Amino acid sequence: MMNERVMVSRKGEEGATAAVSGTASIGESIADSVRLPSPSSTNIHGHQGQAEQRRLGSSIRKRSIGLRLLPWLAGALFLTLWQLRLFHQLFSLESYQLPVPSAIAASIRENAEMLFRYAMYSGTEMLGGFLLGSLLGALAASGASFFPTSGRAAVAVMSALNAVPIVALAPIMNNWFGDGIWSRIAVVAVITMAAMAVSLFKGLTSIQPQYSDLMGGLAASRMQVFVKLRWPHALPSLFAGLKINMSTSIIGAIVGEFFIASQGLGYLLSDQIRLANMPLAWSCIVIAAVLGIVLYEAVVLAEKRLTPWNRAHTDP
Amino acid sequence: MFLHTNKLDFRSWVVIWILSVLLLWEGVAWILHLFMSPQQAASRLPYLHDVLAALFRYSGTLAEQGAVTFGNAAIGFAGGTVLGLLLALLMSVAVWVERTLSPYVISSQMVPVIGLAPIVYGIIHNAEWARIIMAAYVTFFPIIIHTLKGLKSAAPEHLELMRSCGASLPARYLKCLLPSALPGLFSGMKIAAPLAVTSSIVVELMGAPDGLGVLMVSSLYYGSAQIGMFWATIMLSIGIGLTSYLAISLAERWLTPWQPEFRAKGGRAA
Repeated sequence: MMNERVMVSRKGEEGATAAVSGTASIGESIADSVRLPSPSSTNIHGHQGQAEQRRLGSSIRKRSIGLRLLPWLAGALFLTLWQLRLFHQLFSLESYQLPVPSAIAASIRENAEMLFRYAMYSGTEMLGGFLLGSLLGALAASGASFFPTSGRAAVAVMSALNAVPIVALAPIMNNWFGDGIWSRIAVVAVITMAAMAVSLFKGLTSIQPQYSDLMGGLAASRMQVFVKLRWPHALPSLFAGLKINMSTSIIGAIVGEFFIASQGLGYLLSDQIRLANMPLAWSCIVIAAVLGIVLYEAVVLAEKRLTPWNRAHTDP
Repeated sequence: MFLHTNKLDFRSWVVIWILSVLLLWEGVAWILHLFMSPQQAASRLPYLHDVLAALFRYSGTLAEQGAVTFGNAAIGFAGGTVLGLLLALLMSVAVWVERTLSPYVISSQMVPVIGLAPIVYGIIHNAEWARIIMAAYVTFFPIIIHTLKGLKSAAPEHLELMRSCGASLPARYLKCLLPSALPGLFSGMKIAAPLAVTSSIVVELMGAPDGLGVLMVSSLYYGSAQIGMFWATIMLSIGIGLTSYLAISLAERWLTPWQPEFRAKGGRAA
């Protein structure tokens, strides 16, 4: 009985990644996109994967279909209860405070054109900052990988940027770059740079000793070691960094727009709340969520295309 | 390690890098002051010693408002951590809970949850509670994801051994699963701590009566007269974020000394 429970939970782990709501790939990718993944944990995963396969029977397959439907049911139930104003009664809220889903949907339809334009604007900020920041971070990590000790120290100092609240950066960048689109791009670039540098540096330097010994034995130059050994080995970490950055870049763009902006989803959101137009404010959230998921999925897709050999390693 | 050419160790390099960043700051500020009017230059990048002087001059107000922001963020952070940990444990015990919630927890990483801050503040209209709830909310998801990952990284061999020894469920959790979940919990906390501070400040930006965010906005609106104050609030919020991050890192090193990064030698390859 206990044994079965563990079996089910192991199966559950696999299923959580391979299931539901179209987020099949998101599951596994989020799971491996933890910051600072330690080498030992991947080893553990490898072992676990083997043990899992040995233990998996076919008897659970049927139950997994039922389990696969659960999230959809839960989501539908949640929306229905919300629509039926259960939350309003529970927390004694009024409709103007918490609009029901149908009102939000209606508001999205009415303002579709403006929301689309602002989503494009915020998306440009996100992508621009994301690409710029990731590029700078990757360059920093590549440079640092040539100098083991001082490079590691430099990356450690850079990682302090991770702990900087975005709200502190937004006004600084505003002073530097004016209130145009560049100030948000700069905010996003700064916050994404550190995460990329940390993640990629870890990938570039955690090379198995046998490989670097072999390269050393063959009298490879530093550049050859970098191009032929470190860089290919670091591609999974590159994508882990990109995935972290994609999810932080949307927060950076939205929070940056809270401050000073005349366009964008974050601007519309804070503006509509001042006007107490809650349905439109909620539709900003919904659109931002969709934007975030779409862009994230694009990164995941790129990862699958560009590092097909990596699937075996990152499957949790 | 054929790249090893310099004799300085890691710690001294960290100090060197920090010092050079500070020097760079002073240098850039000096160049800006050469080419621009003092007002313009100071709003771009004031001298570091001016900022430190402002930090000292306004230390009373800053400490007061900073304590409000940090206190609320910390309460929310603690609450969010406890809730996230409990839910992660529940998800690891009951498969159907995990199946139902995991897609939502996972997609929460791609959704700007911080965007909800103004909405939450609009709903409750109580700055204290709005800050606490937002900080807890932002903390919640990273904690669940990383703790769950940690719980699953427990070696199956260990669990099998415990089962064959007839260990009870609480014993299995206390002795095997929870220790293996600790590194995950800490990495979740390290991600969540700056976010909790950020969300607390965002609520303040939206019109709370007190806190660092209010100082930040008001000093922005007063323009050049308040530049020292403005930079002091920024530095303080960066300081709060960094301090909480470092505190969690220290706690991690102390509570989970077995992690490979913390071993003296051999943990890091090449």
